[in-house]
Amino acid sequence: MSVATADGLTLAGRDRRFGLLLTAPGLLSLLIVITFPLFFTLFTSVHDYTLLTPNYDTFVGLENYEEALDEEYLPGSLWVTTKFVLASIVIEFIIGFAVALSLHATRRFGSIYYLILLAPLLINPVVVGLLWRMLLHSELGIINYAIGLVGISPVSWLGDADIAFWTVVLTDIWHQVSFMAILLVAGLAALPREPYEAARMDGASTISCFIHITLPLMRPVIAVAILLRMIFAIKTFDIVFIMTKGGPGTATDLISYYIYRAAFFGLDIGRASAMAAGLLVIIVALTAYLYRYMNSLK
Amino acid sequence: MANIVLEGVTKVYGQDILAVDNIDLEIREGEFMVLLGPSGCGKSTTLRMIAGLEEVTSGTLRISDEVVNDVDPADRDLAVVFQNYALYPHMTVERNLAFGLKLRKTPQEVIDRRIRDTTAMLGIDSLLDRRPSELSGGQQQRVALGRALVRDPEAFLLDEPLSNLDAKLRAAMRTELIKIHRMLGKTVVHVTHDQVEAMTMGERICIMREGRIIQVGPPLEVYRHPADSFVAGFLASPPMNLLKARLSGHHGVDEVDLSAVNLPIPRHRQAPLRRHAGSEVVVGIRPEDVHTQEPSDGTHHRVDITVVAVEVLGPEVILVADLGGGQEISVRQGATFHAVAGARIPLYIDLEQLHFFEVDSGLAVLHGGASGPVRPELGSYLKEGGP
Ligand SMILES: Nc1ncnc2c1ncn2[C@@H]1O[C@H](COP(=O)(O)OP(=O)(O)OP(=O)(O)O)[C@@H](O)[C@H]1O
Ligand SMILES: [Mg+2]
Repeated sequence: MSVATADGLTLAGRDRRFGLLLTAPGLLSLLIVITFPLFFTLFTSVHDYTLLTPNYDTFVGLENYEEALDEEYLPGSLWVTTKFVLASIVIEFIIGFAVALSLHATRRFGSIYYLILLAPLLINPVVVGLLWRMLLHSELGIINYAIGLVGISPVSWLGDADIAFWTVVLTDIWHQVSFMAILLVAGLAALPREPYEAARMDGASTISCFIHITLPLMRPVIAVAILLRMIFAIKTFDIVFIMTKGGPGTATDLISYYIYRAAFFGLDIGRASAMAAGLLVIIVALTAYLYRYMNSLK
Repeated sequence: MANIVLEGVTKVYGQDILAVDNIDLEIREGEFMVLLGPSGCGKSTTLRMIAGLEEVTSGTLRISDEVVNDVDPADRDLAVVFQNYALYPHMTVERNLAFGLKLRKTPQEVIDRRIRDTTAMLGIDSLLDRRPSELSGGQQQRVALGRALVRDPEAFLLDEPLSNLDAKLRAAMRTELIKIHRMLGKTVVHVTHDQVEAMTMGERICIMREGRIIQVGPPLEVYRHPADSFVAGFLASPPMNLLKARLSGHHGVDEVDLSAVNLPIPRHRQAPLRRHAGSEVVVGIRPEDVHTQEPSDGTHHRVDITVVAVEVLGPEVILVADLGGGQEISVRQGATFHAVAGARIPLYIDLEQLHFFEVDSGLAVLHGGASGPVRPELGSYLKEGGP
């Protein structure tokens, strides 16, 4: 039963009003920096708005969307993005899990390892891109110099279409793998100890403990880690922008870079906005799924 | 089947937490041994060392006459029922039970049969498809027990397996465990801090305190001849009344002076007390050795007391009586006993049943009843220096 107070509000109602008051400044700034650009994009996407004719005089409905879907290079970019997301997440998951398991088993110097692991995550992605671009430079980079010392001929890390894709993937992994590792190590730390003792008495080896206990118990954490990384990986832009500009050819032409090109090289903001809206739908769908999944765990 | 022998076993956690201090204990083949003691006395640690989940710091641990200090838990062929059940949370009851058998490559039809038999015996056969989180505490408890039973191991190690059950279920499970033990004849080590459990279930009880073993023996033996005042004050509910006293009288052993009352000591019981003539002792009086009606055997001494409280338990009544001089005793009475607080009534204390303990070491000097002086072999588990 709710209790009415002097100002006619229930106790819960007053709590809610106070809470709203506290969050108002934050909500307001979020509204300005997120909602406004969002609606601006959606608004632009239904107009014929190019940088040559930057006005909202011509309402075109879904025409921008239709045109975007008909574009010759869109499927290629989608395919590159899919490959990129799958490759980086699968490899990050494997490395991340291995790192998490060894960190979990570490008794000493744990915080030092955490620090080392966290370092790449703290670096701005643009800086990561610049850093690796220099390290991997085919003539001036230290990596080609180093492999030259052991007699391997220089590799064109960013110039060769096949290699460049994997270079970008590996750079992203270098940057993001700790995110996966740290989520997973937190999950491992939260696992109950008792089932492992029971399993030892039941005669389980380390490997069967991992397969039959760790993996199933970690499933929620694994799912959340992968979904989160997926959402971020789909939006990857910075390292491509810095390292390859989508090239060579279209080898690293991720969808967000593709949209960027449509806007600032194609100068067709309306169509770029339509594609951005499409990307938004995918990411919102994934996020909604993640949200529902996490709620279902409660 | 297995016997379990601990020789000088010590466990130190980390640098300096001495959890188990140089204990010797033999658990015989097929025996139901209860480890009993207050919280933190090292019962779980002892059990976990036997299981192999905790390394033995020093000393020797033998199972079936083989030294197993460095043997992997999986190869000791023991089954543990953990205090907190430790069920596999993501597996159904059926898979929980089958897990150990599958790892040991047991044929599926054998697994099925054992699960069927065990779950029927424990009354959990309707729960096979549920997860642990969908079970009540008592059901989880029985699943944990079932997981140990299907394995058919050399010995069972049970760590307070009944502690989280309600009184009724606990009593039922006590009986069930005793039945199972009788049926299988396997060695059982059962850890508890509940003295009722220890008295009713154990073939022998091992009483621990601060990492040491104080006394080992059959329940009645330990009850009648507690090795020291700690054991006396730990067993039974209410436990033995332990009163500060001084031996006095003509020879220093004719009477025991409880400050407000003096109890005469029968002449034939005086000899073992001579060593302590005239000095302070602790007198132990069991609540059932005091009566409100004078019995006819002439061994009782009348004292007049003030009633402090009467606790009605149902089948019996506990009378808390003030002897004067700040000494209170609990007295067990039949359900029909009635008295009001503050009343003065006479009590009759059985002089033949008085126990005497040393003040400093707590060691027993003289036990009540026909047994007389302390039998040396009962004290043999006491380490140098006493508790
Ligand atoms: N993993 C550990 N690390 C350090 N000290 C421990 C550890 N486990 C137990 N101890 C200590 O060892 C002593 C004995 O603990 P143990 O768990 O064996 O007691 P217990 O008799 O089982 O008590 P309870 O009845 O409360 O379960 C305690 O003082 C405890 O604090
Ligand atoms: Mg314990």
